Amino acid sequence: MSILAQCGYGRGNKIEQGLNDGVIRGVIMSPRDERKDRLEQTIQDWGGSHPTALVMFDPQFYAASLNNPRDGHLSEFAYYHNNSNLGRTHFSGTRIQGYVRECLDYQHETFGSNVAYLISPTILFDAFRDSWSQISLNMAVESADYHSSLNSPQPLLISLAVSETAFQTIDAVEEFLDALTEIDAQGFYIIIRRNSQSIQNAMEGTPFGRFMYFCHVLTTINEYNVIVGYSDWHSFLLEAAGVTHTATGWYQNLRQFSLARFQPSSGGRRPRKRYSSAPLLSCPLINPELQDIHLANLLPGVLSGSHHDAILQNGPAAGEPNWTDEISCLAHWNSLNALFQRLSALPTQSARIQEAERLMRNALTLYAQLGSRNVSFDPRTGPDHIREWQGSLQEFRALAGL
Amino acid sequence: MAIPQVTIGQVQTIIPSAADIQEVDRGGQKIVFSGIIDGRKYALKFMAPNPSQVAGQNSEFLDDVTSRARREVETMQECSTPHLVGMGPIGLNTTYIAGNPIIYFSEEFVEGNNLRSYLQSNGVLSFPELVRLAFHMSEAIKAIWQFSKIHRDIKPGNIMRRRDNGDFVLLDMGLVFDLQDDSLSVCPVGTPLYFSPEQMDFNNRRMTMSFRSDLFSLGIVMYEMATGKHPFIEGARTTWEALGNIANVTPRSPKELRPELSEKLSDIITRLLAKRPALRYRSIELFQRALSEVEPGGGVQ
Repeated sequence: MSILAQCGYGRGNKIEQGLNDGVIRGVIMSPRDERKDRLEQTIQDWGGSHPTALVMFDPQFYAASLNNPRDGHLSEFAYYHNNSNLGRTHFSGTRIQGYVRECLDYQHETFGSNVAYLISPTILFDAFRDSWSQISLNMAVESADYHSSLNSPQPLLISLAVSETAFQTIDAVEEFLDALTEIDAQGFYIIIRRNSQSIQNAMEGTPFGRFMYFCHVLTTINEYNVIVGYSDWHSFLLEAAGVTHTATGWYQNLRQFSLARFQPSSGGRRPRKRYSSAPLLSCPLINPELQDIHLANLLPGVLSGSHHDAILQNGPAAGEPNWTDEISCLAHWNSLNALFQRLSALPTQSARIQEAERLMRNALTLYAQLGSRNVSFDPRTGPDHIREWQGSLQEFRALAGL
Repeated sequence: MAIPQVTIGQVQTIIPSAADIQEVDRGGQKIVFSGIIDGRKYALKFMAPNPSQVAGQNSEFLDDVTSRARREVETMQECSTPHLVGMGPIGLNTTYIAGNPIIYFSEEFVEGNNLRSYLQSNGVLSFPELVRLAFHMSEAIKAIWQFSKIHRDIKPGNIMRRRDNGDFVLLDMGLVFDLQDDSLSVCPVGTPLYFSPEQMDFNNRRMTMSFRSDLFSLGIVMYEMATGKHPFIEGARTTWEALGNIANVTPRSPKELRPELSEKLSDIITRLLAKRPALRYRSIELFQRALSEVEPGGGVQ
C-alpha cells in the first residue's frame, strides 16, 4: 500500500520530487488540467526517468455526462470531445461500445507500457439502484470485454465515480458488489463524489464504514487491486480495509472529489497555510493553531517527523513564509505515506485495524491535551472527524465480521 | 408426468447396436438402461415428453422434459472434462412406442457410488478426499461456466465417485441454465435443500445467478461430506424452514462439528456458503488456489 499523486492544475516539480523522496509510489494524470501534448510527453518522459513508478491516466469521461462542465483541456482529447454533453439516452449498448473503445484505444495506443494500467471510462451516479449505476456497470462490463480483445494491453482498472449518498443503503451496496465481482479486471479505480467540500469534512461515519466494507470485499475477499482517488487522511482507514493505493493531491479539490471541480470557479482568496500532522490526523493552520501549540511547548508531539519540519520547528509563525505550496504537498504525502508504512508493516488485517484504532485514540488524547493547554482549533481542523471515523470503523467491523 | 413404459426388448429394437441391456434406474421422469456399444458400457436414457405441454409437431415450443434432455445433451457435447459425465454414441433422438413419443440418448456409464449412498454406507469423506472432491467439482463447474451456464442441481445424489480411480463426476445436466438464452425459464428448479440464496430470489435471478450459485451448492455438499450433517436443516421442520435457513442462517463452522478439520478447509467451506455471491470466490481459479493451500491431508498436522 502506498500513496499516489492525484494530479490537477499546477503540477510543477512536485511529482518528480515526491517520487525521488520515495513519499509517493506513482501518479494519476488529469487530462482536464494539462495540455494534451504536454501530458503525453510527460508520461513518456516518466517511462524513462521513473520506470518503476505507477503512472496512470484517469480519462475523466464522467465529465461528458455533466451539463456544460468546466472541462479545461479535456476537449483536446478525441474520446471526450467526440462524446461530450451526453444525456441518459446516449448510452445504448452500441454507443457504450464506442465510448469504451475510443477511450481504451487512446490509452493503449498512446501510452503503451508507460502507464501501469488502462483505466476504463465511467459516468457519475448517485445510488446503486438508479439507472446511471446500471449504465456504469454496462460500461464496466463492456470495458472488460473490449480489454480482453486488445493485443498485450496493460492490465485494466474499472473506474467508478459514486456519490457518497449511495452508501446509505447497505442492501444496494451488496447487490452492486455481487454484479461488480463478476467482472474480470485487475481492479478498480474509485472516486467518491462528496456533497460538500470543506477541510476535514469526513464522510459520515456509517456511509464511510460501508465504503470501507465495499473496498474490503473487492480487495481482501476478491483479490482485486483497488485505488481510491481524491483521498486524504482517511487513507489510513482505507489501508486497514485492504485498499491497494490511495491518491491525493495538493489542493483541497484534489483530496475530496466534488462537482465543484467542473463548475465555474467562484474565485476566493488563497487558502491559509496548513501543516500535515500525522499525530493529529489533520492539517492545523500554521498560524495560529500550530503557533499556539508551539507556545504551549507541545510542538514536537504534533510534528510528523519529516525533514521539512525544520522550517517550522523554531516557531511556525516565523517559518510560515518558507512553507511553500510544494513543501506543504510533499510534507502531506510524507505524513500519509508514513501512516501507510506503519500499517502495511503489520502482518494481519486485524492488526492493521487495531493500529488504526490506536492512532485515532492517540489523536483524540492529543487534542484533549492541547485543549487543556488552551489551544483551540477551527472546527475544520478537528477533532470531530476522528469521532466520525471511529463510528465508520465500528460499522466496517460489524459488516466484515472482523 | 408419466414414466415412459419401455422394456429391454424395445430398447434392443430401438438401439440394435447395444448389447447386454439392463435396467439400472427408474426415476420420476426417466428410465435408465445400461448397454454395451462397441465394447463400452453406456447409460441409455429414455424419457416421455410431457403431453400436456406439447403444442403440436411443427411447434417451436418444447415441453420441459424435451427441453431438459436437449440441454443435457448440448452441455455434454460442449463440455470436456473427466469430471462431467460424457456423451455416448447415441445423440438425442425421438421414437414412438405404442403411438407415444419417447426421447432417448446415451451417455457415459459411470461405475461407482453416488455421494448420497457413499455417505450412508461409508460415512464422511477423508480430508484428502474432500479436497479432491472440491477440485473435481470445481473443474466440472468451470467447464459448464465456460459456456455461461450453471448446473443448478449439485447435490450428493448427482455426484458419482468412480470405482476405478476414485475421481468424482458430476451427473445430470438436465437443469443446466444458460444465462444467455432468454427462452429458458428462470423459475426455480433443482433440489430445494441445495438451492443457493440467489436461486430463491425470484425477482432478480437472471442478474445474480452465476457459477457462484453452483459454488454455494457445492459448499453444502462439502459440508455434508465433511461433517455428515446438512448445514441448514438443523431446527427446520419443513423444506420451507430449511429454505429460510439457507437465506438467513449462518451455519456452525464445519470445524466445530469435526474439530480435526484444518482451519483452512473449514474456512473454504464456510466461504462457499456465504449468503452473497460477492463473498464467495469470484473465479474458479481463486477457489482452486485456496484449495491448493490446504495442508496435505486437509486435517490438523
